[in-house]
This record gives sequence, structure tokens and C-alpha cells, in this order.
Amino acid sequence: MTPLLEVRDLAVSFATDEGMVRAVDGVSFSLAPGRRLAIVGESGCGKSVTALAIMRLLAPNARAEGSVRLEGEDVLAVPDSRMRQLRGGKIAMIFQEPMTSLNPAFTVGDQIVEAIREHSDASPSEARAQAIAWLARVRIPAPERRFDEYPHRLSGGMRQRVMIAMAMACRPSVLIADEPTTALDVTIQAQILDLMRELSEETGTAIVLITHDLGVVAELAHDVLVMYAGRVAEQASVQTLFRTPQHPYTVGLMGAVPRLDEEVARLATIEGAVPSPRAWPPGCRFAPRCPFVIERCRTEVPPLAEVGPGHVAACIQAPLDRFAAAA
Amino acid sequence: MAGFLIRRVGQIIPTLLFVSLLIFGLQQLMPGDPALILAGEERGDPLVLAQIRAELNLDRPLHEQYVLWLFNVLQGDLGFSWRIREPVAKVILEKLPVTVQLGLMAFAIACLIGIPAGIISAVKKDRPADWVANGVALAGISTPNFWLGIMMILLFSVNLGWLPPSGYVALTVDWRQSLATTIMPAFVLGTGIAAVLMRHTRSAMVQAMNQDYVRTARAKGLAERIVVAKHALRNALVPVITLGALELGTLLSGAVLTEQVFTIPGFGKLVVDAVFNRDYPVVQGVVLVVAVIYVLLNLAADVLYVLINPRLRHA
Ligand SMILES: Nc1ncnc2c1ncn2[C@@H]1O[C@H](COP(=O)(O)OP(=O)(O)OP(=O)(O)O)[C@@H](O)[C@H]1O
Ligand code: SF4
Ligand SMILES: [Mg+2]
Repeated sequence: MTPLLEVRDLAVSFATDEGMVRAVDGVSFSLAPGRRLAIVGESGCGKSVTALAIMRLLAPNARAEGSVRLEGEDVLAVPDSRMRQLRGGKIAMIFQEPMTSLNPAFTVGDQIVEAIREHSDASPSEARAQAIAWLARVRIPAPERRFDEYPHRLSGGMRQRVMIAMAMACRPSVLIADEPTTALDVTIQAQILDLMRELSEETGTAIVLITHDLGVVAELAHDVLVMYAGRVAEQASVQTLFRTPQHPYTVGLMGAVPRLDEEVARLATIEGAVPSPRAWPPGCRFAPRCPFVIERCRTEVPPLAEVGPGHVAACIQAPLDRFAAAA
Repeated sequence: MAGFLIRRVGQIIPTLLFVSLLIFGLQQLMPGDPALILAGEERGDPLVLAQIRAELNLDRPLHEQYVLWLFNVLQGDLGFSWRIREPVAKVILEKLPVTVQLGLMAFAIACLIGIPAGIISAVKKDRPADWVANGVALAGISTPNFWLGIMMILLFSVNLGWLPPSGYVALTVDWRQSLATTIMPAFVLGTGIAAVLMRHTRSAMVQAMNQDYVRTARAKGLAERIVVAKHALRNALVPVITLGALELGTLLSGAVLTEQVFTIPGFGKLVVDAVFNRDYPVVQGVVLVVAVIYVLLNLAADVLYVLINPRLRHA
């Protein structure tokens, strides 16, 4: 079966004052219909850039290489006109900042209707009815009244619900959610995650969830892709990854899982800072921070290798189980 | 919206009262005894002087004078020109249509050139179209209006003979001739403002195009044209409107040099003549009318603001 979304060797470089900078380097994954994949990693590791490359929404100074196939269609190669049909139609995206992601000058209803009418032949009144139905479905109270409301009248959580309604209204097969709950407070976060899980189960929409919060991953995802410094560090199902992480970076992240009921400094327990794309370390990019580092790590780029069924990790020392056994 | 309008109009009244106090105060500071000036030949006759003082209420205490003056102004009586020997209101009413016509034409030209140029250079930021637009705008800002005016007269009137070099024909008399006599000065005034509008539109658009909601609009699959013209422009226009209102106010208070170059009998010329001849009632009348125009334009800008930016509706 062809996967719904297949990303192969995606690399993204930016033209900057200091020359070409490669922010994402050889990212691959595939997503089956209805599945939910989380992409996790610290700030700056290239999660958003990966997502925007898939949507072809990168800044003009970016160049994306590799392949992104959506239902077999090469997203990076289709003409702009086709890309506009795919965007919002087959693959939708919501963002981290619900406060600024809606246009302050138009009512939330208008903004949802605009998306519906862009991708269907719905008449204005049909689109309005659909938009109101979606507002109800994302559990916005009094949807008829909210329809005519401007975004500034809604709370952050409500606006993110509007964003979800807008993204789902055209029944996309993939929804990319870039840190959809990071800007919200904890109780609202949980509600939004519940809502996303429920909608994906009801509609069969697959989700790519970007987060730096492993608590959120456990809550929503089937599979996890751990990214470090523009590369894939490890990929596995949620259970496997949580039970037997095989990459030292993942193990480090686990030590720093914030509990959903606490405000914990996220991912703060790994010593050292994420390197900059302007100066990636040679060899394994995690080497400067890795407790398992050996000499070879600093010269050899560890390939992504199978460490178990459906479980890959990019570490010379993997599998790490033998360290646990020895201890 | 209705509530907003009522509140906003309510706020204008104190502003206008303040303006009137200021103008009345200035009137008191002006040198020369108006009675002496008005009496002319008969300035030696104390009876005549007393009569004039009584007519002008100059024999009353200041606060009474102010109330009486304000009362007259509200009835459209702006006093009497010392030089032209006609009511100031009449003099202003003759010149106002000229300046309004010229100002509106110039403003239309400024908007039609400046706003689209600003949008294009924002969208094509750091590319040739942007450089060209910026270069032309810089040239537009740094070219003195009187010089551009003279060059246009040389080209279109003297060499090509297409347009009359000077003078003014009222719209009501012959609209073609009227446009022919005002198009060059309107262009001269309009291009200067177009350059300023262009730079403001550009920076507001560059800022808007970087907003998250623009990315959302693109993520919906909207065509770039709609993203720019609907989602970004709507928000970028807010600061441009304020600037536009100010520029229009400046235009409507008379463009002295340009009116001189094209011998257009508008406000600019009226004020200059009045100042040189110490015709203070006319100067005051013009200042008053211009102040009122500014206040009203500001109100219009605020209303437009709120129509464009719903966040202000409840503020
Ligand atoms: N337009 C651009 N030009 C140059 N560099 C860029 C550009 N956009 C992103 N980058 C760089 O790409 C790298 C990855 O950024 P990205 O936004 O994908 O991080 P992220 O994993 O989403 O982090 P966060 O958790 O902070 O959102 C960063 O180092 C960033 O500086
Ligand atoms: S390759 Fe070496 S440095 Fe990199 S994660 Fe594995 S042990 Fe650590
Ligand atoms: Mg990000």
C-alpha cells in the first residue's frame, strides 16, 4: 500500500549572509491514513522547517531537496496552482500562535467560509452552514453567534479551535499541527489534544504533530520521530520509544518529560545547548552533549539503523540495552 | 458603530472650542488697532473710531468679545477683510472650491500612484521592481514642487502647447477647461505625496506580509493575489490612512508655492496676500477653516480605521 504521506531525504537549506545553511538534513518518514505521528525535538532542531517544507510555505530564501509524496503526488514538484489545491484541501496546517494566526480584520466565520469556498463549490449559505457546523464540532459554544465574532473577542483556546475548524472544514487527509498547544495553558492544552484525537478518529484524518513536549506525544501519537540538529535521531512507535529508547538523545529527553499538571522547565536536563545550523559539529551532532560519546562519534556520521522491529536509531552505540544490562 | 460615532463627534467639540480660543487669543496679540485701520482716512475722528469700536464690540470686556465672536463665527460671520473690504466668509468661500478641487485631484493622484507602488515594492521586496519604485519615490520626495511645476509648464505648455500654463477656470464654468488648468498643479502636488504614501504603504505591507495570519491564508490554499490584496492590505492600510488624512489636510490648507507657480487663485495665494498686507481677519478666517478641516479629516480617518480594524470598535 502506498503511504498517504511519504517524505524521503528531505533537506532544507537557507541562503543567509553567512552562505547556505542546511537546517534540515535527510529527514525521512511515512504516514499511513488515519495515523498520528509526532515529531519531537528541542527548539531549533528543524521541526517547523520540515513541516513548512511539506506545505511548500518556506521563506523565499529556502531551498528544499528530496521528495515529499502526498498520495503519490510529488509535492515539491507540482505547479503552484496544484499546490494551492493541495494546501488546505488535502493537507492542512495549524500553528503555534492562535493569537496571531487568525486575521484580525475578518470575522472567524468569514475566515472558515473562505477556506471552504476555496476548495469546494459550496454556495455562500452552504459554506456558512458548514462553517457553523464545524464551529459546533470543535465545541465552540453558541456557534451561530461566534461565527460573526472577530478573533480578538475569543480566548487563545477558542481561537485554536477556530483554526482546527478551519483546517478540518475541507476534510484534509493530513493535518500538520505545529505545536498547537504550546501557547495555551495546561487545562486547555488537554482539551485541544482530546479534540484533535477525536476528530482524527472520526474523520480518518492523519496527523503530524510537532511538539517539544513528550507528555503531548504520549497523549496523542501512535508513532514518534525524534529529531536532533536537523536530522532524525530515532523513530519508533510510542510504546516502543517510551519503553526502550535506543538513542542517547531520546533517553535524555525522557529524563526531562514534563508532567502535564506541572510547569516544568521543558527538556532542560540535557547538558549543553543545541548547536546552530551554521556550525553543526562533525560526525554525530549530539556528540558534544552525549554521555555515551566515544572517539568514533566525533568523526563518523552514524547512519539510521534498525535496532528493533519498526524501530530505527542513528547512534554508533545503539542498541543501548547492553549498558543497562551491564549496570 | 453608532455609539462610537456619537462618542467621537462628542470629542470633537472640546477640540474645536480650544481651537477657537487659540485663534481668538492670537487675534488679541496682533499689532495695530483694528478700529484705526478700518477707519482709514477718518482715523483722526474720535466719533468714527468709537462707532467702529461699538460695531466690532471692541468696547466690551474680553470674555464677552469672545462669546460674541464665537456666536458670529457659528453663524458664518468671520469678520471683515481690512484690505479687500469684503466679508471674510465670502472671500474664503470664493477660494475654498479652488483649493478643494486642486487638493482632491492631487490626493487622488497620490493614492492612485503611491498605494499600488507601495504594495508592489513590498511584494517584490529587494528585487528590481522594489529598487525602481524606491528610486522614483526618492526622486519624487527630493524634487521641489515649484521646480517640477516649472519644468511641466515648459514641457506641456510652452513646447507641446497641450495645456494652459497658468490661470484657473471653475468646474461650474467649463469642466474641461477646469481640469486642463488644474491637472498640472494637481500632478505636481500629488506626486510629492505619492512618494510619501508609497514608502509608508511599503513598510506597512512588508510588516503585514510577515504576519502569521498571512501564512495561515497561504496554508488555506488561497492565491497569492488574494493573500496580498485581502489579508495583508486590509491590515496594512491602517497606518496609511492616518498619513493620508494628514496629507489631505495639508493639501486643503493651500499649496502656496505651487499655486504661485501656476497662478491658481486658491487658499495658498489668499493667505500669502493676506499675510503680506497684514489682513489679519482673513488670516484668522483661513486658519479657522483649515483647523476645522483638519479636525473633520481626523474624524473621517478614525471612522475608516474602525471600519477596517474591528478591534478598535469596542475600545
Ligand atoms: N528563513 C530562514 N532563514 C534562515 N534560517 C532559518 C529560516 N527559517 C528557519 N531557519 C533556521 O532553521 C533552524 C530550524 O528552525 P525551526 O523553526 O524548524 O525549529 P523548530 O524545531 O521548529 O524549533 P521551535 O521548537 O523553536 O519551533 C533554526 O536554526 C532556524 O534558525
Ligand atoms: S553516535 Fe556517539 S555521540 Fe552520537 S548519540 Fe550515539 S553515542 Fe552519542
Ligand atoms: Mg517550530
